[in-house]
Amino acid sequence: MSAHSHIDGQLPHEPEKATLEGRNKVLGFWLFLGGETVLFGTLFAAFLALRDQVGEGNPTANELFQLPIVAIATFILLTSSLTSVFAIQALHRNHVKPMIVWLIVTVALGAGFLGLEIYEFYHYVHEGHGFTTSAFSSSFYTLVGFHGAHVAFGVAWISILIAQTLRKGLNLVTAPKLYVAGLYWHFIDVVWVFIFTVVYLMGKVG
Amino acid sequence: MAGNHPTTENRQKRHKVEGSQKHVISYIFSLVLTLIAFATVMAGEVNTTFTYILLLVMAGLQVYIQMAFWMHMKDRGHLYAIIGILSGVFVVFTMVIMAEYWTWW
Repeated sequence: MSAHSHIDGQLPHEPEKATLEGRNKVLGFWLFLGGETVLFGTLFAAFLALRDQVGEGNPTANELFQLPIVAIATFILLTSSLTSVFAIQALHRNHVKPMIVWLIVTVALGAGFLGLEIYEFYHYVHEGHGFTTSAFSSSFYTLVGFHGAHVAFGVAWISILIAQTLRKGLNLVTAPKLYVAGLYWHFIDVVWVFIFTVVYLMGKVG
Repeated sequence: MAGNHPTTENRQKRHKVEGSQKHVISYIFSLVLTLIAFATVMAGEVNTTFTYILLLVMAGLQVYIQMAFWMHMKDRGHLYAIIGILSGVFVVFTMVIMAEYWTWW
């Protein structure tokens, strides 16, 4: 694949796909996302089956959930998805500095989302909605917490990639990693769309 | 994967890349879809079945926007990506229906 390294030292068009390794990484990552879909699917299936099983005297979804905080979290995550798109666009233009800045914004928004989620869970536990309170609470924390863990992993992953790019620059090895991390971040947002729809909004409806 | 190879044409205009306008439009669309979903539930006076269907349609549209434009699934060379995700979705649907059926019927 040496034909793709240019004499002027510029990266080829779409550097993440310029090498066989890069293309394999992207393909492998899509198959991984297929597996992740199944993982989240099992948790959604469990939640949907158990969401009305609150037991006696325990808070129901309708009593518990506060939509404004969920709306803010949704807005933050959606915006972070857009900033990660901007980061990948900067990557395609070989603009390293703007790319790093957009990635930092993405990580910051991801951390903000996590902060909100921690606050939310803390609040729920105070309302008497612990992990073992009911089948509803267990399946709720497992599903939403699993998503939160993915956000936390993404924040750590992208932070490490920022550090690596600062040290090694943008090249045919680092570009596929950054592209794949972008895919991961969008996938997290896609899962959140289903969580706010199925868990929160449908929980409020009945 | 043949579609992933950069063509000569591609290399000639190699740093001519897509603008960000399309992504900003996707973002605004996603925001509007989210807003409709939240507003319908917060208003709280709409028929339950209708709300469920509306919520799922809003979620479906938003996921389509994100996957097609932001995850580049509309670009060429994404056949395996589509197969990978669709097989995941197929298993998920089977599982959700099975879990509900097993638990409650």
